[in-house]
Amino acid sequence: MPDKEDKQMSEKHDHGEHKAAPMVEEVSDFEILEMAVRELAIEKGLFSAEDHRRWTEYVHSLGPLPAARLVAKAWLDPEYKKLAVADGVKASLAVGVDWIKSPPTGFGTPSDYCNLRVLEDTPKLKHVVVCTLCSCYPRPILGQSPEWYRTPNYRRRLVRWPRQVLAEFGLQLSPDIEIRVADSNQKTRYMVLPVRPAGTEGWSEDKLAEIVTRDCLIGVAVPKPGVTSNAKRPIHPAVHPVHHHH
Amino acid sequence: MSVADNNGSHGESGDDQVDSTPIAVLETVRRQGRVWGDLAAQYGVTNPDPPWKVTLEATCDVLAEGSCALPALERRWEEDELSKELYAEVPFPERQLLALAHSMIRRGLFDEKELARRIEDVHRRLTSV
Amino acid sequence: MTTKPHHDRTHHAKKATGIGDPQCFKGEAGPAKFKIGDAVRIKNLPDIFYTRCQTYTRGARGVVVAVVYESPAAEDEAWDNTDKSEWFYSVKFPQKELWPDYPDAYPNDTVETEFSERWLEKA
Repeated sequence: MPDKEDKQMSEKHDHGEHKAAPMVEEVSDFEILEMAVRELAIEKGLFSAEDHRRWTEYVHSLGPLPAARLVAKAWLDPEYKKLAVADGVKASLAVGVDWIKSPPTGFGTPSDYCNLRVLEDTPKLKHVVVCTLCSCYPRPILGQSPEWYRTPNYRRRLVRWPRQVLAEFGLQLSPDIEIRVADSNQKTRYMVLPVRPAGTEGWSEDKLAEIVTRDCLIGVAVPKPGVTSNAKRPIHPAVHPVHHHH
Repeated sequence: MSVADNNGSHGESGDDQVDSTPIAVLETVRRQGRVWGDLAAQYGVTNPDPPWKVTLEATCDVLAEGSCALPALERRWEEDELSKELYAEVPFPERQLLALAHSMIRRGLFDEKELARRIEDVHRRLTSV
Repeated sequence: MTTKPHHDRTHHAKKATGIGDPQCFKGEAGPAKFKIGDAVRIKNLPDIFYTRCQTYTRGARGVVVAVVYESPAAEDEAWDNTDKSEWFYSVKFPQKELWPDYPDAYPNDTVETEFSERWLEKA
């Protein structure tokens, strides 16, 4: 559906996700390696050029805007919020994401499956998402995962030291709040439905969606009026090393 | 595999998941290749990702479906293993690309010579005027 | 060198197209052994090669918070043994149960993750 993709693409440009930028003048060895691997794989019959093209289109179409809109809709409509929590796959349809019937497979992808669960935060409950085994992520509604999400550093430490990891992201929560780490180790994929912040009274769905960043949807940030982009991530050495003495 | 080894938060894949002996053709790319961070800075390009990142993701996806030449979970575990030492200093997504090529060679999907020949071929095509 | 799992998803495609995965396994698992609110313990089953049951959960006690879907267990699915399905459950653990030295200052923190039925026993 080219129109919808174009709209999503231009939305992405506006949102700063894939800025239109001049191309680099030289071809890097990595660019060559990527092509070589792909061409060789096609020659060996591992996949067809057509299949690869369809997947590339699909991956290219993905981004975090539908998830942000799902949250904004849920904030504005209590019935939709109930649906989102009860049936994430059905609720996704309202923001243009079909976990089941989308190309290229028509039955979900081997990495993402078809079981989105929307995790509702409350003032006493904060969710944060990880996949300790390999970095599974709700790509159909949230796009590609950020690099930090994929690192063993995040995957191993979040489940063990969530408060320290969240503090590194600039998020500190009162000790009596339940921080619930959701580890997507099987077929379910998670996104967070954060608490609607104060100072957003009377806002439209579009305006609300703007403050629901990717980091809010993973759970490492909370939405704030005026904050419409993810914070920069400096690389921190682990506060608690991975190898822990018992 | 004790809980103390890695906070017990890894699957039971075993640490001999992939042979991480360096592969000559990939070592050449690793050492000589210019990473996107450098290229983007040099040419003043603001896109945080190289243009081939999306096609790389698609390659990973398409290898995990159909006849499933390289399942996703194993590819990721091997990538983790290779990122511990061999490709530890390489930024993402260059690291993901090297790990993918490495996994595919070790799995016998193609061999080093074939890859080296194809790299030469692509290079010639892209740089001929 | 251990044999790696081999898949062929073309058979799966026929079963799941238009229906989805795990939706395509609906009705195959029979009655669910556990329900929401049940106290469960994670069994420490021997690993044959491939598992999605994290080491850090073995032996831990938690509560079933959702009965999520039916599907072949990951340990079977990796080898294309998809004839049998199990119920999958979302289980919530107090952090203190998983890590004995988790700080007492944060008594309410939890982890939630999924298990196929074979991994659970009544606690």
